[in-house]
Amino acid sequence: MATTQATITLDSSDIADNVLSISNTATLTTAGTDTGLTEFTGIARKKFSTASEFILLDSGLAAGIAADVTADKSAKVYIKNMNDRGDGTKYAAVRINSIEIGRLYGGDWAFFPWSGGAGKDVDIQTYNASGADATETTVEFGVFYE
Amino acid sequence: MATTTATITLSSSDLLTDNLSLSATMNLYKGGTTATGLDELNYHRAIIPTGTNFTLIQESAALNATGSNYVYIINKNTDATHYVIVSIRSEVIGRLYAGDWMFIPYSDATTATAGVDDPSGDDSDIEIQAFTASNTIEYALFHDGETLLTASDS
Repeated sequence: MATTQATITLDSSDIADNVLSISNTATLTTAGTDTGLTEFTGIARKKFSTASEFILLDSGLAAGIAADVTADKSAKVYIKNMNDRGDGTKYAAVRINSIEIGRLYGGDWAFFPWSGGAGKDVDIQTYNASGADATETTVEFGVFYE
Repeated sequence: MATTTATITLSSSDLLTDNLSLSATMNLYKGGTTATGLDELNYHRAIIPTGTNFTLIQESAALNATGSNYVYIINKNTDATHYVIVSIRSEVIGRLYAGDWMFIPYSDATTATAGVDDPSGDDSDIEIQAFTASNTIEYALFHDGETLLTASDS
């Protein structure tokens, strides 16, 4: 087994009267055990220029990573929008099964568990203030899984 | 405005042949701005009993207005078999086992009537259900305004 750790630190000195300082480390394990995850897609970088929604992580396939990510297993997804923030209006919408979770503006990242399963793809679509946008966007992403 | 940063570090010395060491830091800004920090925060701790899927974060028109909010959730249980399922708009995101955390942007992309849970389920509430045992979670919502409910006795 491997030992892989994910640490988050949330800091602010002025969002509240007192300093906010949250820090936690998770050891990435297989579902319901203390055994470390041993599989990893590696960190990939994808550059695209399309205004259409497209599949970043294809779930429900018969082979490859998609076959290994299922609800009763453990998988963690990391995604970062590598673009600059620019004027603050451009973002990449992150969706699961076409349901929008949230928007990654330039420089933003997300880390979340992924149940996967048929049709439960992780999708991306980019926008600006006017609507879907084909500005070249680069994302980095990776999946830790069992 | 406030300055809030979120940093992730992913590390392992034995997952790959070489060390894995990845770190990323972001500022939590309001949507549509170049550098105006979010200045509102909800930070909670709750014990989630088994048997019911609960609304953890209620969708609202205000959360949807800019669509730039961020959610942090951690499962504070220590028994490895304990977990919660986190969903959005009836779509399962994934399972947070004991000790696991997640950090996602939250756009509240589909809203029902503000302040009233949508019986159709066609909303963007973030929902949570505990399995195996009650799970203690902590969660934070960094946001740009939420719809306040008018007191029913006012």
